[in-house]
This record gives sequence, structure tokens and C-alpha cells, in this order.
Amino acid sequence: MTEQKIIPDYHLDLMGETCPYVAIATLDAMAQLKSGEILEVVTSCSQSINNVPPDAINHGYQVLEVATEGANIRYLIRR
Amino acid sequence: MNWLNFKRDYLVQFWSPIPSVIAAGVLSAYYFGITGTFWAVTGEFTRWGGHLLQWFGFQPETWGYFKVIHLEGTPLSRVDGVMIIGMFAGCLSAALWANNVRLRQPQHRIRIIQALAGGIIAGFGARLAMGCNLAAFFTGIPQFSLHAWFFALSTVAGTWFGARFVMLPIFRVAVNVKKVSAAQPLVQTPERAARRFRLGILVFAGFLLWAIAKTFDAPKLGLAALFGLAFGILIERGQVCFTSAFRDLWLTGRTQMAKAIILGMAVSTIGVYSYIQLGVPAKIMWAGPNAVIGGLLFGFGIVLAGSCETGWMYRAVEGQVHYWWVGLGNIIGATLLALCWDDIAPVLATRYDKVDLLVVFGKPGGLMVTYAMLALAMLAVLWWEKRFFARKTLVQEVV
Repeated sequence: MTEQKIIPDYHLDLMGETCPYVAIATLDAMAQLKSGEILEVVTSCSQSINNVPPDAINHGYQVLEVATEGANIRYLIRR
Repeated sequence: MNWLNFKRDYLVQFWSPIPSVIAAGVLSAYYFGITGTFWAVTGEFTRWGGHLLQWFGFQPETWGYFKVIHLEGTPLSRVDGVMIIGMFAGCLSAALWANNVRLRQPQHRIRIIQALAGGIIAGFGARLAMGCNLAAFFTGIPQFSLHAWFFALSTVAGTWFGARFVMLPIFRVAVNVKKVSAAQPLVQTPERAARRFRLGILVFAGFLLWAIAKTFDAPKLGLAALFGLAFGILIERGQVCFTSAFRDLWLTGRTQMAKAIILGMAVSTIGVYSYIQLGVPAKIMWAGPNAVIGGLLFGFGIVLAGSCETGWMYRAVEGQVHYWWVGLGNIIGATLLALCWDDIAPVLATRYDKVDLLVVFGKPGGLMVTYAMLALAMLAVLWWEKRFFARKTLVQEVV
């Protein structure tokens, strides 16, 4: 499988932040993007795995990638 | 399937929360059948608070609340105690497998205040109602105890207020998005991950062997410890969060966890019913204002804190310092409740009946009523989801 590199337009650092603020901040940030732009979110909140992707989808965005490495998670979401 | 794939797919990656919650529902029914008690954590945490008081020279064993929940023995000689130790072992093993143990400091001082204050309010409310998200909700409703329905409904209301409160500007931190032109790859630490994985296997195998050995010596305690281990692994791997089930209905319209919990209770209910038929006595609590006030406080507190009693356990073990404060708050809140129990209990709790739906409606009747109410709860969640997103679309169109 060849991995295609996705280039984000914006980066949001939510390291150390906890629920529900990770999902809320992500949705707030997404609302600032233009259609087609990609936001990269990095977080150390493990719980966000169950809220950021479904919330993004529920609110009409496209989740391009979810990568976990140890305690960190990175989401790539397209408006 | 080779070992590396198995490890990656089942031990390192998070599990889907819905099957995890349903599995917890099934296990909790068996747990009741085997140990005679329900899956619960806050009562035991309150006893830990009681033991702390004893070390400081107080006599909490003379307080009414500790007579109700029993302070005899040690965590190692109580079913709840070994189960919770098992849960911690399970959470720790599961977090280590995935290299998900790391100190994570809160970035804002307001979060620590939130965690501690929310933890105290939730701990107090939970014990006032004789249970938390487990004993007065997830494992309380399948016991056919009316108090659990009082608690669940008032928790719904409490979390609504909580959700309004935590969105106040004082708790919000500015969202700063940075313009970038490249992805920021996550830092990989393969050697540490391998070390942590081995340590996780060691903790898991060590506890497993201890619990199995214990089973031959004291079957109930050993099996309770094994159940605890399984519960711990399930909640950490699935990142099962009861708080989010309520809170996110209001904040982001997400219903996934709420639906999972209702399904979990539905599978648990029939299992618990069958054990009650076989003669295991159900755990029924006072259906009084204590359950309603407790639910309101608890709902508000868990949203403010960011997690409930079950939720902070695995996050604290993962090294999320925020949840150490929540845990401390819970024990303080529960101990405060025990302190004033003798004054408030006659008015709020003990003069009310312990209502068993299987007695009120008869055995099959109580079962049907419980399933009808669970079905209603599921319909309410579906209706709310539709309404939330319909309204959101409307707002967007107007803007």
C-alpha cells in the first residue's frame, strides 16, 4: 500500500487539553476553514478517538486520516 | 493472522466503543450472578476515604453511612475491592500495550479547578444517590431498582446544566489555528513502545495468575478480580466514557455512546433477571429525593470535571494528570457525603421505600416495563439526534 501524503492547510495544537474541549475546539476551527481546506489536529486526549471523528462526520466534514502513536493522536479533516 | 497483526489490531489500536459497552453489559450480568453484587466503584472509593480517616484517628465506622455500605475488612478482602484493583490492573495493562502511558499535564489552571470542583460535586451526588453511572445507572437499571431511573433522568438534566456551564467563556481557551504547508508527523518511539508493551504483558499476566490462584482459595474474590481485569481492559481499549454519552448529546449532538449504553443495559437486564429468578437477591435502593438531587449534582459534576468515576480511572492510569484531580475530588466528595449522611438521610433517603419494579409490576411485568422504558429512552435519543442536526442546518441556512 502506498501512502499518499495529505498536506494540511492549518494546524491546531490541542496537546494536554481534555474533553469536551478537544471536540469543541476542532469544530470551532473547522467552521473557520474554507470549503476544501484541511485541518490537522494533534492531541494527547485518548478519549478524542471516540468524539473527534464522529463529530466531524456528523457536522458534515470529511475525516481523511486518523493516526495514533503512543499517547498522541493526529486527525486530518477536510471541510 | 500472525502475532504482529494481532498485536496491532487488537492490543494497540483502540476498540470500537459500542461492542465494548455491550460486552461490559454482558459481563456485568454474569458478575452479578457470580458475586451477588453489581459492578460498582464509588462505594469502594468511599470506603477508601473511610480507611484514610481511620488512619488519621477518626472513627468513621460509627457513622451511619459506613454502616450502610460496610467498612469491614480491607480492599483485598472485599469483592468490590479486588474488582477495582483488577480494573486498575486491566487499565494499566491495556494502556501499556498501546504505549499510552505518559504524563499529560493540564495546560490551563482553570482545568485543575474544574477537575477538583467537578469531582467533589460528582462524588457527593453519586453517593447521595447510592451509586454512580454504574450502580445507579448502567448496572442499577438492570437490577429493576426504581431509584436508578430517578437517578438516570435527573443525571440527564444535570448534564444539560453542566454542558451550558462548561461552555461559559471563563472555561474557553482561544482556538488558534496556524497556517501550515506541511503535515507534522507524530513522533515515533518504537523502542519505548516495545518496552512498554512487555511491561503491559507482565502486569496483565502477573495479575491474571494472582487472580486465578485466588479463585481456588476464595472463588468469589478471585473471579471478581478477573472480572475487574476484563472491565478495566474494556473501558481503556474502548475509551468508554459514560459522561460523554450524556454531555455530547447537548454539546455536539453525538449519540453513539448513549445508544451503546442503552443497548448494554438491554443485554444486561435479561441476564440479571435470570439470576434473580434463580434466587439471587436484587440490589434495590431508596427511591427518594436523594436519587433525584444526587443525579442532578452528579450530572453537573461529571461534565464540569470531564469524567465520572469509571472514566477517571483509566485516564488517571494513562497519566492524564487532570483526572488525578478528578479522582481526588470524588473521594473528597464521597467522604463529605458520608460525614453529613446522618443529618440528611432521614429526610432525603431512608424514609422512602426501596422500590423494586419486579415487586411492583410482578416478575414478568417489571421486566416488560424496564424494556419499554429502555425502548423509550432509545427513541428519545434518536428524536434528539434528528432535532439537533435539523436545527443546526436551519441555523446555517439563516446565516
